[in-house]
Amino acid sequence: MTRPRNMMLRALPFVALPALVLAMTTAATGQQPGASTARGVYTDAQAAEGAELYKAACAMCHGENLMGTYDIPTLTGRFLRNWSNGSVGALFTYVSDAMPQMAPGSLSPEDNARIVAYLLKANGMPSGAQPLPADSAALNRISFEPVRAR
Amino acid sequence: MDRGSTFGRRDWLKGSLALGGLASLPGCAASMGGGPASASAATGGTSRIVPMRISANELIDVKCCIRPFRALGCRLDTETIGDTFVIHNYGHGGSGWSLSWGSAEIAVGKAMSVLPKEIAVVGCGIVGLTAAIQAQRAGLKVTIYAREMMPRTRSFRANGSWTPSSRIALTAPAGPGFAALWEQMARTSWKTFRTYLGMPERPVDFSVSYGLSDTPPRSREEHEVDPAAPSFATTGMPQQKTEFAEYDHLIKDIIPQSVDVAAQDNPFGTAYCRAGERMYFNFASYSHLLLSEFFQQGGKFENRDFHSPADIAALREKVVINCPGYAARDLWRDKSIIPVRGQTGWLVPQPETHYGLYYKNVSLLSKSDGVMIMHTSAELGDMEGVGNSMELPDRDSIVEGLAKVAPLFARMKGARA
Repeated sequence: MTRPRNMMLRALPFVALPALVLAMTTAATGQQPGASTARGVYTDAQAAEGAELYKAACAMCHGENLMGTYDIPTLTGRFLRNWSNGSVGALFTYVSDAMPQMAPGSLSPEDNARIVAYLLKANGMPSGAQPLPADSAALNRISFEPVRAR
Repeated sequence: MDRGSTFGRRDWLKGSLALGGLASLPGCAASMGGGPASASAATGGTSRIVPMRISANELIDVKCCIRPFRALGCRLDTETIGDTFVIHNYGHGGSGWSLSWGSAEIAVGKAMSVLPKEIAVVGCGIVGLTAAIQAQRAGLKVTIYAREMMPRTRSFRANGSWTPSSRIALTAPAGPGFAALWEQMARTSWKTFRTYLGMPERPVDFSVSYGLSDTPPRSREEHEVDPAAPSFATTGMPQQKTEFAEYDHLIKDIIPQSVDVAAQDNPFGTAYCRAGERMYFNFASYSHLLLSEFFQQGGKFENRDFHSPADIAALREKVVINCPGYAARDLWRDKSIIPVRGQTGWLVPQPETHYGLYYKNVSLLSKSDGVMIMHTSAELGDMEGVGNSMELPDRDSIVEGLAKVAPLFARMKGARA
């Protein structure tokens, strides 16, 4: 069509494609650009509720202190490496489908969001003014970004 | 039927096969009437039996794991995700160790069909690591991507015995085609394990396993599915222990069968005793050998936790053998994986003992890393643990099992005093 667009297309693969995709996604969903765990995506109250749920549903395997065991994954440290640089939605989906292992899928989406909020807090992610949504489409748009990486 | 203290072939098998059990004596019903001479040869006589020390004080570990059971048998089909060719290799129930080489041969054969130079293997349990080595032996460059390396996988929480048809399929859904595939895998695995016999540290070994009873063992078992009762066909879950496939008879020409042991050769003083040689795997030395071969052949290991099939399609390698075990249920949303819980206890190693036994639903097997104990239900057979994904160990059950077998050895010591 126009010359400027052609130029833009040529440059896209090298520079602008990720930014363009993000911009388009943002436009379509109404999310703030760059929604990230590094910028407060849950509330302290939500994480506190998550902590209580964790004690009841998760601690029997992963431990009160999230340390796991030889056989059961820790939920800090390596956990951050395993799950960061993806989306919070991936973690939420996993927790929703696979956990608690003895009764997978038995918690409500809201409770799973509370538990994920607690895990974010336990891994040093800052809290914010808005609670973490309990909807995987919205969570898929929030990047799981370790604070220390920034 | 009141099973009480009676037991038949299936009970021996099932009682001890929970994780791929040991003291199951394949084909022992068929071997009724084995002569005293052969029994004597199998047991080596009483003088070489050292009593095991059975003490909860020496219980150093209780390991629990979930077998990845599929009614159709293990998954070995392929699919293409984006530009990535994925060969599945999971769902081996309680037979992963036993079928690892045969399953690897099939998976690697499928990978070779697209002529790759390098491949990825996802998962580093016994199935993944073996597939990786098989691929290297076929000339491929291999990278394993896994959350854990072998010693921290569920494979290491099995009991590590030759039990190739333990919770591997349901007879009807799997059909005769899978039976034939199973036989091919079992024979390939058996031949490959043979190449590890006689090595230092005994990565693969044989020992005698005794089946003991105070009451006459049943010579026949019922093996019919009750068509009027709930079944996998009507509920989507196994409901009857007789639904589980038994393929051991297909390879009995190469597998030692157990024989009756004459009273004078029975070291345990029970009214009934059978014995047979059983193959088993010593976790430490065998996995060390596998990992050594893998790395010596230039294999790479990358620590990765996959969250969806898209993550696998994003790998650099475009041919991937997918060996996630039970994790396939979460990673691939594969609900055809049915959890089957099992656990083992481990006593301090007793290298002076070199045998196993099954008595009152308790299995013992002396291995290099400890004396393995399993305590199973008298009634449930293969149904034990089906649908149970609770992976925390239950130590009390193991301690109860110890109490059941302790009198056997106390009696031996008393007799010798």
